[in-house]
Amino acid sequence: MHNVWLIAKREYMERIRAKSFLIMTILIPLLMGGILGGAALINGRSGSLKHIAVVTDNPQFATDFGTELSDKNQSKVGVDVYPSSKPGILTTLEEQLKAKDSTLDGYLVVVPPAASGARETFQWQPRSKADVIGRSRVADAVGATLTREKLIHSGMGAKEVEALLQPVHLDSPGKKDASAAAFGSAYGMFFLMYFVILFYGMNVARSIIEEKTSRVFEVLLATIRPEEMLAGKVIGVGAVGLTQVGIWIAVALGVIQLKLVGSDIHIFPSLSQTIFFLVFFLLGYLLYSSVAAALGAITNSEQELQQMNIFLMLPLIACSVVIFTIVTNPETMLAKAFSFFPFCTPLIMYTRIVVGKPTPFAIGFSIVELVVTIAIVLWIASRIYRVGILMYGKKPNLPEILRWLKYS
Amino acid sequence: MPIVELHNIRKVYGSKIAVEGLTLTIEPGTMFGLLGPNGSGKTTSIRMMIGMTVPDSGSVSLFGRPFVRTALHRVGYLPEERGLYKKMKVLDQLIFLGQLHGLDETLARSRSLAWCERLEISETIAKKTEELSKGMQQKIQFIASLLHEPDLIIMDEPFSGLDPVNATLLQDTLVDLRKQGKAILFSTHRMDQVEKLCDSIALISRGKLLLSGTMREVKSQYPRNHVQMVFEGSDAFLQHPGIESAKNYAGHADILLRDEPAGQHVLAAAVASGVNITRFEVIEPTLEEIFIENVRASFGDAESGGKVDA
Repeated sequence: MHNVWLIAKREYMERIRAKSFLIMTILIPLLMGGILGGAALINGRSGSLKHIAVVTDNPQFATDFGTELSDKNQSKVGVDVYPSSKPGILTTLEEQLKAKDSTLDGYLVVVPPAASGARETFQWQPRSKADVIGRSRVADAVGATLTREKLIHSGMGAKEVEALLQPVHLDSPGKKDASAAAFGSAYGMFFLMYFVILFYGMNVARSIIEEKTSRVFEVLLATIRPEEMLAGKVIGVGAVGLTQVGIWIAVALGVIQLKLVGSDIHIFPSLSQTIFFLVFFLLGYLLYSSVAAALGAITNSEQELQQMNIFLMLPLIACSVVIFTIVTNPETMLAKAFSFFPFCTPLIMYTRIVVGKPTPFAIGFSIVELVVTIAIVLWIASRIYRVGILMYGKKPNLPEILRWLKYS
Repeated sequence: MPIVELHNIRKVYGSKIAVEGLTLTIEPGTMFGLLGPNGSGKTTSIRMMIGMTVPDSGSVSLFGRPFVRTALHRVGYLPEERGLYKKMKVLDQLIFLGQLHGLDETLARSRSLAWCERLEISETIAKKTEELSKGMQQKIQFIASLLHEPDLIIMDEPFSGLDPVNATLLQDTLVDLRKQGKAILFSTHRMDQVEKLCDSIALISRGKLLLSGTMREVKSQYPRNHVQMVFEGSDAFLQHPGIESAKNYAGHADILLRDEPAGQHVLAAAVASGVNITRFEVIEPTLEEIFIENVRASFGDAESGGKVDA
């Protein structure tokens, strides 16, 4: 164990001290923030209608429509009303729409019904054809306005109409907070796991290949066993990833705390769930790092490693396909099967613990199963590693591997 | 108590026999030269000695006991294919390797500093390995294999790539360690170094032991039948029946005798023929000659040419 600790410590300290660690720790949140902020800015610009024109001979409709649109938008929308009789109005609006300095976002033309009793038809000309959100807002507002007018027309009072058209809220007393938080923590686990493995999983493999190319292993193997070396690498390199993610999460939580004092975000409804989250996350991370170590032991270069990447991601992708059905039905056969497949256990069993009711035995069994799988994967990886490096590219046959296994 | 005892060890990789029937013993306080052409099984033998690979049959004993991994704390190993962590500082690297050999950090640090002083590389300790020359890196590895004061020191080609000044520095260090009673095994192609340094040798070729024993024993097996001679006058005496073959380079003759006593007869005949002799020397066979002769024989003369690397 002492040797594992030494290897892990060296790997950790060297990586944490490297300048690239500091740069990545600062740069990635900045880049992410930049991308998200930029996207939000662009969305904010294109998504909101601020100024439109309505061509209609019914001024009441235009006013109601304006109110309806402003309500939905939660911000004032400027509505210009033009009678259809105004000469050349459509051409003028079309020109305004094309002009660079105009603020007009679009115009709506109300065409009176051809026969009495039929409904008006509507033409919507937006500045940006791609603004589907704006389009549906206009359609909703037109629909609501028509309904309101018809109801009032058929004799209902304005207050009654108002009450009728209020949006419906569904209350489920007591349960609401917990279930939302449960879903939140299940998805949180999924994305954290996916992200961390995507970002750091292959680092273990890379560090093993590095050791192979620099030939340091020969000195090391003269004193320590290959399995000690691989275990040390998995722990050391893994801890670097956790440190980086830990820093980001701590900073993010700090920012949220500062901004939203008073509003409590509870991702973890209970202490036991928090503990399960940590246990399954760490075990899952260890398992995938061990698989990466095995991939590093098989391959001799970064290029070869790239092709192996899919083996690391495949189980995660499988989880991402089933997790949405499992969140809603946590006790189906499918859910149970996946929760005992070791490479999916961390995600699926945790999800089941949060939203379903697996027995304590099932939970305990899945944890033991994970630990055993990690040990087996590391053990196999260390055999491949030792045979591989000492034989100079010759592939070992089965009896040879068995003989290695026998030795202390 | 011998430090290393290999008894009849054998290792096969697939269809290639790497080592077969190798038996050798290394005593404390000796410097042992493991010789052989490239690919003869030297590195495989060394790896079996320190448990990096397992012999298919035969036994390995270290320090008088069957091999156990804990014995490795008493072994220092400098592999042929050297490697250091490129981005790591020299002192940190030495401390790390010392700790792996069971030292605590303080002791590893003080010994590293002392050794760097001794091998004249103190100015490098704060640098990263990748900034150093190959020779300096080699000195660092040399130190790393000695930090834990091993009783058995195994060095695969320790002097390759070093300039004469540094090679001498390391040689002197090894001689000092031998005086302290350590056993030193090193493999090399440089026969002059072996001749100068080693007490005992083993010569292996194609995985088999060809020769072993102390330097004297090995040499005494080879007749002193080589004469170098400088003379003036007729070379007619070179037709003497005691001479196997002779080459005369205008008064400098290389003579191969049929046997050792023939030397005296040839000298007498030369004097009798009236030539003026300024030098007549019976030459001991060099280790290099012994090496080449044995290795050639092991390969069979036909294919020897390109493969022997002395």
